[in-house]
Amino acid sequence: MSVQEILADDHDPARASGAQAVVLSTRIRLARNLAGHPFPGWAKAPQRQEIADRCIAALVDLPRFRRGHVLRMAQEADLDRAVLVERHLVSKELASGQAGAAVISRDQTCSVMVNEEDHLRVQVLRPGWHLRGTWNLAEQLDDALAAALPLAFSERLGYLTACPTNVGTGLRASAMVHLPGLCLAGQMDKVTRALNQDGLAVRGWLGEGTEAAGNIYQVSNQQTLGLAEEDILKHLGFWIKHLVEQEWNARRKLALDEGEKFVDRLARSFGVLRHARLLSSSEAMNMLSQLRLACDLGCLPEALRDQVDRLLIEGQPAHVQVRHGSPLDSDGRDLRRAAVMREALRAFPEVGPPAA
Amino acid sequence: MSQPLQCSLCAEVATVHLSQVVGGKVTKVHLCEACAGKGGAVDPAVFQLADALQAPPAAAELTCPRCGFTDVDFRKRGRLGCPACWETFGGALSPLLLKVQPEVAHVGRAPAGTAPLGQLRHRLAAARATLATAIVAEDYEQAAKSRDEIAALEAALKPA
Repeated sequence: MSVQEILADDHDPARASGAQAVVLSTRIRLARNLAGHPFPGWAKAPQRQEIADRCIAALVDLPRFRRGHVLRMAQEADLDRAVLVERHLVSKELASGQAGAAVISRDQTCSVMVNEEDHLRVQVLRPGWHLRGTWNLAEQLDDALAAALPLAFSERLGYLTACPTNVGTGLRASAMVHLPGLCLAGQMDKVTRALNQDGLAVRGWLGEGTEAAGNIYQVSNQQTLGLAEEDILKHLGFWIKHLVEQEWNARRKLALDEGEKFVDRLARSFGVLRHARLLSSSEAMNMLSQLRLACDLGCLPEALRDQVDRLLIEGQPAHVQVRHGSPLDSDGRDLRRAAVMREALRAFPEVGPPAA
Repeated sequence: MSQPLQCSLCAEVATVHLSQVVGGKVTKVHLCEACAGKGGAVDPAVFQLADALQAPPAAAELTCPRCGFTDVDFRKRGRLGCPACWETFGGALSPLLLKVQPEVAHVGRAPAGTAPLGQLRHRLAAARATLATAIVAEDYEQAAKSRDEIAALEAALKPA
């Protein structure tokens, strides 16, 4: 049970076929706590230990986590923890603490964080747009947990959480969306404002302040109380469909207006990724974004999009170092990253005009 | 609670109490009706001024009997101490909650084995609204469906 096994496993949510254009992945997160225990941030170390032991014991008993991974953050190396963050299996907050743990299913779609902000953070993550399927899985897990552990719940306030922003349903439903069209058209501010006004948060997929990274954003509900789960899901679904439509409109307009210039830009990104000797993380991310767009438009075979999505993960700092086998400084990473890209893109064909 | 709170901008008695949460930090502002009416209520500058004017909080006013968490702790951390804290601080947190959440009432799922009363009531209200609309629109098929749904929900909500 180790991060090495997770890396070696072929069940990579980013790689599994089904990642569609625009929506990279769908995520459901549920915040739950044990009744009668202080929240992780206020608990003393022995209490946190007891909570962790109890939660982990209940989780490993569930069929979903048979042959899964149990990782205690205090026992994992810094780089291994960073790998888990880059794969969206755990949050930065969990990885940076000592009291946390993660129980991850074999196929890496289900990951439960223990002792993050709440005792339990259940996460289901699937490639592409699959809100129903992802929710059903999360619901099953939630029911299984409720049968195994006494959860803190009040009739008036719902599931009791450490932070008022999560109380009630404890539900954060989100999608990772790739929006190069809207970004290039300078529409992101307008889009963000519109979504914010209707109760949805828009963040760069690598956290605050990294909006430019690969034009990939996370869209999620902000409200968790006074709404039923069904309402939250319908609401997100409505906006994501709308966003996908707007993104395609923006892409079509760009291709139409810019014609050859548009394809040239995609081809140049491909050229740099294919041949560069040094690549920074943000450079690689932005060019991979162009490549992904190329796949969506048929400038590259659509089947290659899964590989591009894999590279978006593999190009990140911890992945580069762990694959290399040892820590690297910034220059070392840039060198290694470029080598990874050159190797991966060796078999790619030339970038052509968009499919009709 | 002895002395009435003073307005942060003038020295009058405060009757409007606002809380702002930014990045987990809670700031409280107390205003008299006049100053609140001047539109100062939603001006972020008011919070900055109040910050400067406010003396450091004195003794804690509320303490959770279960875990010892106080309202001073909440102001520092933006998070609660344990599930029982919600009972102690729930009332005081309502205005804060309403800034983020549409309603202070849970209408979603409940743990398996617990009756999701909030959810059932929410569905009952929705079904009644649908029935009313259906009747006005003379959609008797929908009206019949709604009536059945209402009957089932009312039965589920009846105390055992």
